[in-house]
Amino acid sequence: MSNFRKWALALTLPAGALMLAFYVYPILQVLALSFTEPEPGLGNYAEMATNPAIRRVLWTTIEVTVPTTLLTVAGAYAVALALVQMPPRRRGLALFLVLVPFWISVLVRAFAWITILRRRGVVNSGLESLGLIEEPLSLIYNQLGVVVGMVHYMMPFAILLLYANLSDIDRSVIRAARSLGARRMAVFWRVWLPLSVPGLMIAALFVTIFSFGFLVTPALLGAGRVLMIAEYISVQITSTLNWGVATALSVTLLTAVGLLIFAATRHPALRSALEGGRK
Amino acid sequence: MKRQTFQQDAFEIARHKLRSGALSRRDFIAALSAVGLTAVLRPGAAHAQVGEIVVCNWGGAAIDAFRDAYGIPFTEETGIEVVVDGAGPSTGAVRAMVEAGNVIWDATDGGMTDAAVLGAGGYVEPIDYGIVDASLVGEGMAAEYGIANYIFSNVLAYDAARTGGEPPAGWKDFFDFDKFPGKRTMCKWVQGQLEAVLMADGVRPEDMYPLDVDRAFALLEPYVEDIIFWESGAQSQQLLREGEVVMGNIWHTRANLLRMENPDLTWTWQNQLIFASAWSVPKGNPAGAEVYNFINSSLQPEGQVTLLRAMGNGPTNPAAIGLMTEEDKAVYALAPENLKDVLHVSAAYYAEHDAEVQNRFLDFISR
Repeated sequence: MSNFRKWALALTLPAGALMLAFYVYPILQVLALSFTEPEPGLGNYAEMATNPAIRRVLWTTIEVTVPTTLLTVAGAYAVALALVQMPPRRRGLALFLVLVPFWISVLVRAFAWITILRRRGVVNSGLESLGLIEEPLSLIYNQLGVVVGMVHYMMPFAILLLYANLSDIDRSVIRAARSLGARRMAVFWRVWLPLSVPGLMIAALFVTIFSFGFLVTPALLGAGRVLMIAEYISVQITSTLNWGVATALSVTLLTAVGLLIFAATRHPALRSALEGGRK
Repeated sequence: MKRQTFQQDAFEIARHKLRSGALSRRDFIAALSAVGLTAVLRPGAAHAQVGEIVVCNWGGAAIDAFRDAYGIPFTEETGIEVVVDGAGPSTGAVRAMVEAGNVIWDATDGGMTDAAVLGAGGYVEPIDYGIVDASLVGEGMAAEYGIANYIFSNVLAYDAARTGGEPPAGWKDFFDFDKFPGKRTMCKWVQGQLEAVLMADGVRPEDMYPLDVDRAFALLEPYVEDIIFWESGAQSQQLLREGEVVMGNIWHTRANLLRMENPDLTWTWQNQLIFASAWSVPKGNPAGAEVYNFINSSLQPEGQVTLLRAMGNGPTNPAAIGLMTEEDKAVYALAPENLKDVLHVSAAYYAEHDAEVQNRFLDFISR
């Protein structure tokens, strides 16, 4: 190892120590609890596998996460595609608008959606005054409301990820396609889209992983009817003192996310996208 | 999402009143002191060895107000610093602290059930009744691991403009969707929810415990689609205020606020479900036995009535009723005229079954 490399490695030690102390160590504690609480053994994992209530919670989590991911990525792709085509000044403004929601807390955003979607909310009263519906639609306090809130929360993340990725696409390829006579739609389907696949996959992966951990949005917009895994774990930790099952679920969730990322990095296109702009 | 406790909600109400000018700063602090958001210790005897008392409750913004108004004068008088931690003494938090061997709280404000659960787990000290005067509180309010600092209840709140001429008179009407069409709201945290269902089905208070959970679920099943489950007091208030629901099983403090906003939104004490909140002392608390002097001072009737006026949290000291006006009694759960077909929610039952029943309930309503 060269001297420079040794020094560089030494410089990472403080950050590494910090990670070990405040990240790795607590995770190991969680892991240990899942095997020892309330008694040593695999009881918590057996409970997790056999308890139908936990299976329902996991299923609900998937049922909410899948549409959230699909809608977010589709919507974000349209926005990101528009962003890369914009003249720089307008793009600056548009990016600013994309960033605005970042400064609004998740709680406020959930309440805003309640105002919009509730029985006497903006959407229902609008539709009623147009005579399109007789009875208010149930847009909230169900899975639909939760998905709407989560898509809204995830959009800026997905847009930025996709924007970064689409910006990297070599524009001369697009020009070549155009000059060879491809129509706009053909350019999209045969050039833009295939080249966007790594970006789309990263965005989908990111949104999926993030969605597993949603707590506030499902609690508020689901109003008890949509119980996702993060809320379930939170209840077991803070109020029922069921720490064994809670930690076993956390470990399982962490493992699932780890496997997902590992699987994704096996995909060559994705790996190059994750490693960034080494061309 | 974290389980919001009544205590936490009471703090939110007081803060809101303070902001809107309905409560003076002085009353605000006095009210908070009664729920343990501030600690007022009697001056005098044997304080010298204790440097500070730390009280944990559910609100953070009151800490500065407390330090200015009570902490500093008290410190000048007794030399004991008083610190308020608003971190929220959930049972999980108390357990984590005690197990880590790093206890910083002297007294925590939780429910009677929390006290018993924590006591059974060995996470809190038995209340030292050699120092704490159990005769200050009403019958059944002084338990091994907790002593009641105030009373609150779940009541049937309704929108009189939408329930027609005849007001709903109890849980039977609450679940009568033919007579009273429209959505309902109930609480996601199970204590006081299944009791309402079973009372509607004619179970008498003396036969309520142990709860027949299956029977309650069977009765509730057809209506779950029409029930929105609240998890914070503010949310329950919002659902009624905005006309999302016509009736709710909500905390009486929130029902009281609704009626102040709009006289059509009111509640009945009929079938109220009464709870006691309690002080507990985490095992190995830093101030030791000194904390019991604080607990005694929090049970004095004057402070308890101040709390009632500010937030509606009812006194546990029966002597307090002598200090009440008619207006005070109207919001006091234990005023004799409000005790119509009521149920005292069993802390002993939930101390053993809360975890199981809570999880079954969450699973049931989210199916």
